[in-house]
Amino acid sequence: MPSRTRGPFENRLVIAGLVLPGVAVLVFAMVVPLGFSVYYSLTDWAGFGDYRNVGVDNYREILTEDPVFWRSLWNVFVLILVTIFVQNPVAFAVAAVLSHISARLSRVLRTVYFIPAALSLVIVAKLWVDIFNPNVGILNKLLVAVGLDSLAVSWLSNPHTALWAVIWIIVWQGFGWALLFYYAGLMTVPRELEEAARIDGASWLQTYTRVIIPYLTPVISTVIVIDVVSSMKQMELIYLSTGGGPGQLTQFLGVYLYQKAFVASEYGYGNALSVLAVVVSVALTVIVQRALRAFPRDDG
Amino acid sequence: MKPTTFLVLAIALAVIPASRVAAQTKTTIKMGDNLPDRSNTWGAVVEQINAEFKAANPGVEIVTESYPDQPYQQKVKIYATAKQLPDVFKFWSFTSLLKPLVDGGFVEPLNRSEFDKLGYLTGALESNVYGGKLYGIPVSADLWVIYYNKKLFKDAGIDKPPGTIDELIALAPRLKAKGIVPMVTDGKDAWPLCVTFDQLAWRISGDATLPARALARKARFTDPVFVQAAQELVRMIKAGVFQDDLMVSDYGAARNLFGQGRAAMYLMGSWELGLGADKTFSDEFRANVDAFKFPVTAGGKGKIDDLFAWFGGNYVMSAASKTKALDMKYLQFYAKRFPGLAWEKQAALPAQKVDARPGDTQVAKTLLRIIADAKATSGTASLDLSTPRFKDDIENAMRGLASGLISPEEFTKQLDVAADKASRR
Repeated sequence: MPSRTRGPFENRLVIAGLVLPGVAVLVFAMVVPLGFSVYYSLTDWAGFGDYRNVGVDNYREILTEDPVFWRSLWNVFVLILVTIFVQNPVAFAVAAVLSHISARLSRVLRTVYFIPAALSLVIVAKLWVDIFNPNVGILNKLLVAVGLDSLAVSWLSNPHTALWAVIWIIVWQGFGWALLFYYAGLMTVPRELEEAARIDGASWLQTYTRVIIPYLTPVISTVIVIDVVSSMKQMELIYLSTGGGPGQLTQFLGVYLYQKAFVASEYGYGNALSVLAVVVSVALTVIVQRALRAFPRDDG
Repeated sequence: MKPTTFLVLAIALAVIPASRVAAQTKTTIKMGDNLPDRSNTWGAVVEQINAEFKAANPGVEIVTESYPDQPYQQKVKIYATAKQLPDVFKFWSFTSLLKPLVDGGFVEPLNRSEFDKLGYLTGALESNVYGGKLYGIPVSADLWVIYYNKKLFKDAGIDKPPGTIDELIALAPRLKAKGIVPMVTDGKDAWPLCVTFDQLAWRISGDATLPARALARKARFTDPVFVQAAQELVRMIKAGVFQDDLMVSDYGAARNLFGQGRAAMYLMGSWELGLGADKTFSDEFRANVDAFKFPVTAGGKGKIDDLFAWFGGNYVMSAASKTKALDMKYLQFYAKRFPGLAWEKQAALPAQKVDARPGDTQVAKTLLRIIADAKATSGTASLDLSTPRFKDDIENAMRGLASGLISPEEFTKQLDVAADKASRR
């Protein structure tokens, strides 16, 4: 039948036409740049001028001779752990409280909590660099005022506190997003589900751990994946606060590959770092998603 | 209408708007520099030169992109990668910065004869010569000195600047007792500490050629003199000579602490001569800012008048510029106007000869005297005479050393490994 033979042909054209723009964007915005990145990662290009192919030398050097790479990766893992096990539970708890207080107060508090997330990263970085400043910063002035002089240190340049100070800035800035996700998720939990649990004699803790959290597993998974990805590409707040210092103690992959490419003029090496960053990001995302599948969930 | 009349009218209509458009067309020179403040000192001088150049060349527009020092250097590298360098831009003559651009064919050689008779100090033009060709015009004479605030010294009961590192270290607790930060510098970017490391090595050994010889692998960075220089720098840091957040203080933060009267000393180059005329700071500060020679070390063979001096900052022309003739005209104009204007406004110590005037600021007089006193001069070898990678390696090693994460011995070992790598490339 003519209509049956022409239909699929037409459909394929239509499908191709509809898919093509998306595929083109994907190819030109992601696949081609990644291809270039892989190509340049195999060279000793300085970013300009002549270059030669060095095979996998850059990768070998990164993996076997570059402690800064491993330090950067370690710092990323620390940040991921802090966001998952500290920022997320706190954000969830605050969201839970906000979902049970009056709508007006909840709205005001949500706005307040979200302000850091809405601020420019430059402003956030400069704000905290000033707060942490050992000479003129308000934090040390407060500590001295309440008699805790011994705790007044150079927060961002002291090797013992620098990483935690930087992670604090990142967590503070990102808290609003986590809160927003959890609050939105909590608003979707049917009231009758909660009431049924209560009628069955569940305490509020049991209601949350046995009913609400399993119900929100998809939201939690999404937030965790976002945390992992944003930790991997963390750059601006580090660059603007410590620049990776003191030494390389607060170095993160995003800053390190930028510094290698555009400060040290080791564009090839920087590209190798970026390729490894993509590989680690994809691997971590897959691992996290698989791990989260093991959690109990309510799929409705 | 006759065809000929129509043709004449059509041509007239086509030509008249075209000529009007031509009259309105402006030729634009794209420029870049590291002087974001365009209303004070050096930036204001450049703005005045640009205004005079535009007045003398109707139809010329100058568009300038400015960023602070280190971000600007990174921006130039990114622009070079993207093949979008400005037509004329400020840069640095060093092997670690200019040479890669020369090797890559990104900058245009200049006709040296156009600049030979413009009063450049000995060695100034030579600093910009690669392969026998001149690639940049030097703008400033750079000396490594310590600026100080005479009032803060007086407040702390200090009557004269220190002449030795021991005396400098002894000032720290006295200033701190008065709530004054003893000395500031840009630790985040690490290069001022690297310059100081070279300076200390010279003060200890009396031999300015050691870093260059170590880079050429005719000496080792693990030699005792470099270990001692690193130890001396660590001794200064541990004694609290620098600001507490040294390693996260950038150029602007350090400069502001000094300019706002919170720090008594500022370890920096003579390009900060404009501190004495910078209206963003108080009258009291400007009246009290002065400079002194980098101190000697106890038992060192170096003399106080061994002067660390070089010609770093320059202006270069992009090889891809579409306005090369105009760019060259601008550079000639700049070379003629800059020394007079910069000295008149006490904004910079030019790389060309200037005469002292009765109205010069105190800090300007002192810098001229430091030059006049110099018995020997040398530049910043470790930082500037190697490859970009070595520059990055020494800065990173310095961050580790200054943060107390690695020992002076480990620091010099890292430099030696980096110098080996650099010499193989």
